[in-house]
Amino acid sequence: MRMEPINRISEKGLLVWRIYGVFQTLIAVVIGIGASVINYFIGNFIWLYIVVGVVILLMAYFLIYLFPKVRWMRWRYEVREQEIELQHGLFVVKRTLVPMVRVQHVDTEQGPILRKYDLASITISTAATNHIIPALLTAEADELRGRISVLARVAEDDV
Amino acid sequence: MMFNEKYKLHPISAIINFIKVLKDMILPFIVVVTVNGFGGSRDSDGWPSFITYSIYAVVLIFLLVSGIVKWKRFRYWFEDGELRIEYGLFVKKMRYIPFERIQSLNYTEGIFHRPFGLVKVKVETAGGGPTEEADAVLTAITKDAAEQIKREMIQTKSKQPGELNEAIQHEVVLTEEARPIFTMSIKDLIVLASTSGGVGVFFSGLAVFAAQFSNIIPYEMIYDEIVVFIRFGALIIVLGVFFVLLVAWVVSVFLTLINYYNFTISIEDNEIVITRGLLEKKKITLPLSRIQGVRVVENPFRQLIGYASIIVDSAGGSLEEKDEKIRLLPLVKKTKIHSVLEQIFLDLDLEPNFITVPKRSRKFFYRLDFLWIIPVSTTIIYFFYPFGLLSLILLPLSYIFGMWQQRTAGYAVNGPHLVMRYRNLSKVTIWMEKKRIQSMTERMTFFQKRKNVSSIITTIKSGVSGSTAIVPHLDKADAERLINWYQPTKSNTIQKEKEQPIV
Repeated sequence: MRMEPINRISEKGLLVWRIYGVFQTLIAVVIGIGASVINYFIGNFIWLYIVVGVVILLMAYFLIYLFPKVRWMRWRYEVREQEIELQHGLFVVKRTLVPMVRVQHVDTEQGPILRKYDLASITISTAATNHIIPALLTAEADELRGRISVLARVAEDDV
Repeated sequence: MMFNEKYKLHPISAIINFIKVLKDMILPFIVVVTVNGFGGSRDSDGWPSFITYSIYAVVLIFLLVSGIVKWKRFRYWFEDGELRIEYGLFVKKMRYIPFERIQSLNYTEGIFHRPFGLVKVKVETAGGGPTEEADAVLTAITKDAAEQIKREMIQTKSKQPGELNEAIQHEVVLTEEARPIFTMSIKDLIVLASTSGGVGVFFSGLAVFAAQFSNIIPYEMIYDEIVVFIRFGALIIVLGVFFVLLVAWVVSVFLTLINYYNFTISIEDNEIVITRGLLEKKKITLPLSRIQGVRVVENPFRQLIGYASIIVDSAGGSLEEKDEKIRLLPLVKKTKIHSVLEQIFLDLDLEPNFITVPKRSRKFFYRLDFLWIIPVSTTIIYFFYPFGLLSLILLPLSYIFGMWQQRTAGYAVNGPHLVMRYRNLSKVTIWMEKKRIQSMTERMTFFQKRKNVSSIITTIKSGVSGSTAIVPHLDKADAERLINWYQPTKSNTIQKEKEQPIV
């Protein structure tokens, strides 16, 4: 068996994903409330309230608790001298190998929520593909970006 | 550099510009004309139609003038190892293209070019970012002028001290002459047209046949009074569809003949040169160094009659032709593939020993289809009870199809080359060089994990974006072998081998 990549993404990333989950659940709650209000005026079926409630509870469980946790557990990466290896996936586990010589450029990106937690995501671009490491500590991300771009500079080939 | 003369395009390019714009707007134009143009004459007084006609006239004259202005303002010249272009009326635009950035020169001879011995030259560069427009088109210049561009390019490139290799290549260029490798006969062309567009005709013909049995369709369920109408109508519709498709087929055969007439491939100094066309003679040059992958594609119909087509993925290219998948051989007899590919790509192993997928991964090939087939046919059976049962045929069909896919899927590794074979509908065999593969991904679902299999996905550059190839449900050990082969740190031996210039 191949060794798994060593590095994990920041533990705060898990927190951020949970926050995303909260937002998604909130949207579901709003829709659920809307549906319930309509239901109240039109049919007032009891079972519909129950369905809405259960769906929201399940979504909260999956989106806030389970999915972020599994996704975080799965997320691993490793930047070696000649290649970058990523492994991630919730239902489908993907393990991607990107040779350093193929790397064209590296970007870091920081949205408002990521910034609040001092996180940044890294995008590694080859001529044909993009690979994202979603949440790293800003300092770590900057360091990694620098390292990859130095390592990638030894590229001997075009395209 | 010495005195740099500025060249103009041939005056005919004004006409070509005009016609090109006209061609682009012919459809909206026709719509406008049919909607209100000629209908306007029915109005009581002639004024409105006069106004509309004069508007058309003004538009046409404007287009003609703008075509002439475009030609008038266009200049190109050679300076400092660059091809420089200047154009535009109000906003003067300049474009400088360094010769070493030029990937290829494409020549097209349209019907307007032929009588004057002219040629349209498209200068293609690698064109990095999506916003970067780095191509240039010289609408019409004489063949001598086109030769001159090529000469200048070769001269500049050979002066580059850093690109010694390139220089040597181009020494060869001038001496080595074109060596034709493949031509397509008229018969091939007809087969090509029929097997790509003919499927629809076949099925609609079948539908006409099937309509004869329309009395078993339970029309009584619908409406007694309109039964006759529906029966008749169904036949009419089916016949109509058949004829439309027949016409479409004839047209497609005709167009294919015009477009691919005299299709020839030759090799010229590390470039593949494809020429084709009856009315518009097209010449595409494709540097071998730009080719990322070679695919042999066999759709089921062609596979039956022993034909395949060969497509190459080429890097770079302009945005308008988004995926640069060039049909290297639109159609070729399977038995001839080897002899053709051997001549172009010298180091490909054309008969690799494929490692196929294990038996235990069989169910992955059809199980997913059952997920949609079962609810769909249940619904159909529920609504159309006796005849709906026919939809159950989908199950064995998709099973058989899955088995077919399973038997096709495989890979082979051969030194620096990876060969992947898989089938969606068409069977695809793709050769890739390791250093051309942008990334490799191993994908494993929960169910795959239980059976210890996983899929391998590779991405190569094709045009400005990428294209992927996937061998599904490989034995986990095989998948890991592939990843290990691809991993740079683990396979230094292969990396250190002398790198081949082509795929």
